[in-house]
Amino acid sequence: MQNDKELFDQIKQSFPYQPTNEFVSSTENRLRKLARKMDRNRKVKRVSLISTGALVFSMFMSWVFLFDGKQEVISSLTNHNTPPVLSETEEQEPLVYIYHTHNMESYLPEINKKGIDQAWDEVKNITQVGEKLGSSLKERGIHVIHDQTKVHEIIEDRGLRFEDSYKVSRERLNQELQRHSSIQMVFDIHRDSLRRNQTTVTINGKEYAQVTFVLSNSPENYEKNHKLAEAIHQGLLESYPQLSKGVVTKSKSDKTITYNQELKAGSMIVEIGGVDNTFEESFRTVEALADVIEKILKKQSH
Amino acid sequence: MVDLDNLEDSISSIYKHYYLDVFRFLVCFSGSQQDAEDMTQEVFIRVLNNLKNFDCTRNLKAWIFTIARNVAVDTYRRKRFTSIFKEGFFKKLESKEKGPNEKLEDAETVSQIHLAISNLKPQFRAVVILRGINEFSIKETAEILKCSETKVKVNYHRALQDLKKKLHIHSEEVFSNAK
Repeated sequence: MQNDKELFDQIKQSFPYQPTNEFVSSTENRLRKLARKMDRNRKVKRVSLISTGALVFSMFMSWVFLFDGKQEVISSLTNHNTPPVLSETEEQEPLVYIYHTHNMESYLPEINKKGIDQAWDEVKNITQVGEKLGSSLKERGIHVIHDQTKVHEIIEDRGLRFEDSYKVSRERLNQELQRHSSIQMVFDIHRDSLRRNQTTVTINGKEYAQVTFVLSNSPENYEKNHKLAEAIHQGLLESYPQLSKGVVTKSKSDKTITYNQELKAGSMIVEIGGVDNTFEESFRTVEALADVIEKILKKQSH
Repeated sequence: MVDLDNLEDSISSIYKHYYLDVFRFLVCFSGSQQDAEDMTQEVFIRVLNNLKNFDCTRNLKAWIFTIARNVAVDTYRRKRFTSIFKEGFFKKLESKEKGPNEKLEDAETVSQIHLAISNLKPQFRAVVILRGINEFSIKETAEILKCSETKVKVNYHRALQDLKKKLHIHSEEVFSNAK
């Protein structure tokens, strides 16, 4: 042990003991400046919100009184058939919430990697599949919240572990659920870790990434979650045979592992494709999913 | 130390408290004063940017070192085979040619040490420096590197052996010292 200590003393002595004084003070100044800027930005945001509000209000008032806008206002208030200013999708309350607890899950061909455990990427990842589902649903007039939180970064920065991913991903989900009681479906989109022959199917000559619906066995909301997952599975079966591999319930002995599915009835994990699939194959699957989701939502509203 | 209402004072006191430790880790890791300074600055900028997300019940120093280790490994990947080696280690090696005198013998040992460390794999290098130079406990090192304590022990042991082999510290010597 004495020997190790000597070795380390020698190593310590061999390196510069400290940074230059100039560096130390200039870095401190730089950090102080950045911190001030961050503080200021927070305040500016607040101030600008208030002043923009005041400006808009004064413009409106001057329009009403100086430019004879009064007539317009009265007529639009009395006219109930005024077409909506915003597009319908924007004005609607959201019905679907999409998020990604394991946001870095990726497809090997997209990132030129080989091993199952390498199928992770900071940019080319499952978030893009969620985005595609979001836009496909919006095209069908369904308002969606697509949460693109970079869960892995929050985990690193807070010094949490990978197992804490669900704790992080539920934070925004919880907020949005409280804000929008209209949400009826919550999809946590993942990528399966199986190989190509177990995750790919050819329908009408085109290759699709297969989909699996995964539920936690925690009792809260289980029946409703299962009912919706089964409905989507059946809907897919009708038009896209074998695209869905069905509904799987993970029987965890620890019933506190809920995958956040206890927060809202209509929640599930959706696994789209495995490590060897491509975005193209997953996007096809997403289109099919969007079709089925649209049908179910329409049925419910009648 | 972390006060979100006053970022400026928080970051300044955190910086003053930890910059030396962080710098020592990075200078051993990179072998270059300039790179270590650049990386030290990067570390504290990242700390500042993420301070509002930091869970105050956790170990602040371990968190800062997790960031330092990330910065070191990122930089290592970016600069692999280029400047770290050329500017840092090999420049010092050149002085070896100039001939024997006491000062240069020192310089030789120094460059041997630097070369030996630079030849360790990045994860081994991090373990050796955190345990040996920064004197973190096994538990803290595991927290910083986000791995098990067993892995820290095993990697540290291997890295140390590797280092000694490279520096030609043989077990016989250890044996004779022990007598």
